[in-house]
Amino acid sequence: MSAHPPSTSVTGVGHLLRLVLRRDRVRLPVWVVGLGGTIVASALAVPPLYDTPEKIAGYARIVGTSPVSYLMAGRQVGLDTLGGIVANEISQVAQLGICLMVVFLVVRHTRAEEESGRAELLRSTVLGRHAATLAGLVYGVATALLIGAVTTLSMLGAGLDAGGSLTYGTGLALLGVAYTAVTLVAVQLSTSARGALGLAGAAVAVGYLVRGLGAMEDNALVWLSPFGWAQGMDAFGDERWWPAALLLGFTALLLAVAARLMAHRDFGGGLLATRPGPARAGRLLGTPFGVAARLQRGLLIGWGVGLFLLGMLYGAVIPTVPDLIASNPEVADVLGASGRAAEDALVDAFLAYIHLFMAVVACGFVVSSVLRLRAEEEAGRSEVVLATPVSRTSWMAATTALALVAAVKLTVIMGLGLAVGYGLGSGEWDQVLPQLGGQLAYLPGTLVVGALAAALHGLLPRGTGLAWAAVALIALQVILGQLLGLPGAVQAISPFWHLAAVPVDDFEVVPYAALLLLAAVLVAAGLWGYRRRDAVAG
Amino acid sequence: MAVIELHDIVKTFGTTHALDHLDLTVEQGEVHGFLGPNGAGKSTTIRVLLGLLRADSGTVTMLGGDPWHDAATLHRRLAYVPGDVSLWPNLTGGEVIDVLARMRGGLDEARREEMLERFDLDPTKKARTYSKGNRQKVALVAALASRADLYLLDEPTSGLDPLMEAEFQEAVLELKQEGATILLSSHILAEAEALADRISIIRAGRVVQSGTLAELRHLTRTTVIAETDRPATGIAGVPGVHDPEIHGNRVTFDVDSDHLDAAVTALAGLGVRSLAAHPPTLEELFLRQYGDEVDA
Repeated sequence: MSAHPPSTSVTGVGHLLRLVLRRDRVRLPVWVVGLGGTIVASALAVPPLYDTPEKIAGYARIVGTSPVSYLMAGRQVGLDTLGGIVANEISQVAQLGICLMVVFLVVRHTRAEEESGRAELLRSTVLGRHAATLAGLVYGVATALLIGAVTTLSMLGAGLDAGGSLTYGTGLALLGVAYTAVTLVAVQLSTSARGALGLAGAAVAVGYLVRGLGAMEDNALVWLSPFGWAQGMDAFGDERWWPAALLLGFTALLLAVAARLMAHRDFGGGLLATRPGPARAGRLLGTPFGVAARLQRGLLIGWGVGLFLLGMLYGAVIPTVPDLIASNPEVADVLGASGRAAEDALVDAFLAYIHLFMAVVACGFVVSSVLRLRAEEEAGRSEVVLATPVSRTSWMAATTALALVAAVKLTVIMGLGLAVGYGLGSGEWDQVLPQLGGQLAYLPGTLVVGALAAALHGLLPRGTGLAWAAVALIALQVILGQLLGLPGAVQAISPFWHLAAVPVDDFEVVPYAALLLLAAVLVAAGLWGYRRRDAVAG
Repeated sequence: MAVIELHDIVKTFGTTHALDHLDLTVEQGEVHGFLGPNGAGKSTTIRVLLGLLRADSGTVTMLGGDPWHDAATLHRRLAYVPGDVSLWPNLTGGEVIDVLARMRGGLDEARREEMLERFDLDPTKKARTYSKGNRQKVALVAALASRADLYLLDEPTSGLDPLMEAEFQEAVLELKQEGATILLSSHILAEAEALADRISIIRAGRVVQSGTLAELRHLTRTTVIAETDRPATGIAGVPGVHDPEIHGNRVTFDVDSDHLDAAVTALAGLGVRSLAAHPPTLEELFLRQYGDEVDA
């Protein structure tokens, strides 16, 4: 028995990594092909679109001064080169995509395993205390490097400058590495996978927003965010490598923190301890709707606070949008207006995009909320509920109604956030109704996505992941639809494509009502399907 | 030599005292029954032994090492079956068995086949389609197919049908014959009674009784039922006799094991026509242990 070498705190990491790859033999390729494929397609789409020096100069003039572009993609250097244009076009999807990828993958194989009890079975074997953390690190780093390599190769394939392609891909990969470390700290803090996802996701959002604000105001805030460090490597510009050291140092620091937390905590424990709750159920818990509301309380509060703050932040920058005309008179030429009219046109375009962007973000909420139905079913908890006199229809209708009502509330909250942010930024408080109305103009799109998730739950339970694919497709259409030159038939898959771009365009009642009707039909179909299929689908 | 030695272990979660100065010794080669109701601290104790939880105070020795510091090294020599098995939904039962066995350092192929056969488990099914009992079997086969010095079994048969329960008991006795040590946490008392050499009863995080079944029985009372020629009216006066019930010539009473001799002598003077005495079942021991505490 003692022929084995002595065990270390990371013994068994190789076995764990093989298990990770086996479990993710579908999931990992989906991430790589989905995210990598989007990056490749975007990179290859740019050169044919900007095939003359005039077009390239036009891009630098228009996009290079757009407040939306600063906020969403930061200040990319070298916009007067094809490389800079490609980097600017893909950075929003690539940077957010790589961060979300490592967050989801790392939590899945660390805290989620521990919470489910499966890791306990593993830890009873020859497995060191830090093996799971190290496996998560290796997996996150490897997938981030893979996406970085795909990005560099696709840029080279598009005929871009080799040095710039390498710098950009490296910065992107290191951003993923940094957020792998952030996630490894988050999984030590929270005792639940959901909580860890929330913490790490919030860290991604904060990093992204801080960089966006810093870029918009053109100040030092960008240097407080890993997104800013990755962009600060100035690919396709000066190409400096010292910001890479910031990313690596940040990573090393967080890994040390994660290792220390791991070494001192119990299995299953965290720093954010679970507090005891009430001994008796409150009155609300007597109905399916009450139960659904209680189960999703944390989700609702988290999204409500998050989206209100996001709205406030975007609202606060609206008053600074017209300043861009003063600093760059060419913008007015592009808009075909001048003076006050040009300012209004610029603000309207900004608002239309912000409203749309926030409505798409809310799709993430509504899908995760509706799909709690599926999670409850898979965990075997819905069968306990359905063994009581609660009918399938009322169980599913309660959760779906909760999700859709919450989507309406969140839309109002986002609008209020915009109005409050605008009021704080400008001192004018007359924007409450226009902001509310503007945000509500995009509500049916969000509701249709939630209703689609409900329909899938009822009709195609094994395929509920398609609802997430729909969210990804919509985000792609909104962010990259024009660049990729997607045909109208493909863009039309996104419900938002049919809605009027308020306030640039006038509100149109027909598509609005049609989408609401579609949502109702999808929910009805889902309920119909759920009553007919096995209540516990494998 | 003791394979497991827990001394004065305290483990608290917030204000809850999960383990409250717990002492437990498991000797080499024995099957040790670890009994207690839900929430008494059985699983917490086993998680301390697995190095998953760190005891707040006290000393823990297992297989000659410290489970918290030498967890991975010690785990080469043990196998574990949890009471509530959760498996990866998209892996098959056979894959899970191999994953666990490889991580433990290999398994005995012949034994794997034999155990699959004995437990009538289809290893090609995805874990998501297994019932609770079948998930339990996956963990059992994974543990029993590996050759370990120590088996930590935490309510290993919950969800198994009686046929499988019988297979399990046979397999445990085989392991014991091969010299393995087994800590069997259970609240199926018949199982512990059939398998265990020694038994520890845990209550509220503390071991309240420990010993062989005979020793535990000796500490408690024997039930006596007798028919005598003359009514046994005087039996209540014999020291150590409890709860006598007299119906004509028939008498039923409990007697402390130390005073059995005096009670039988008293009956003999009355002309015994029939006499039945049975030692307490484990269930009676168990209930009495708790009943006494509740009365006090």
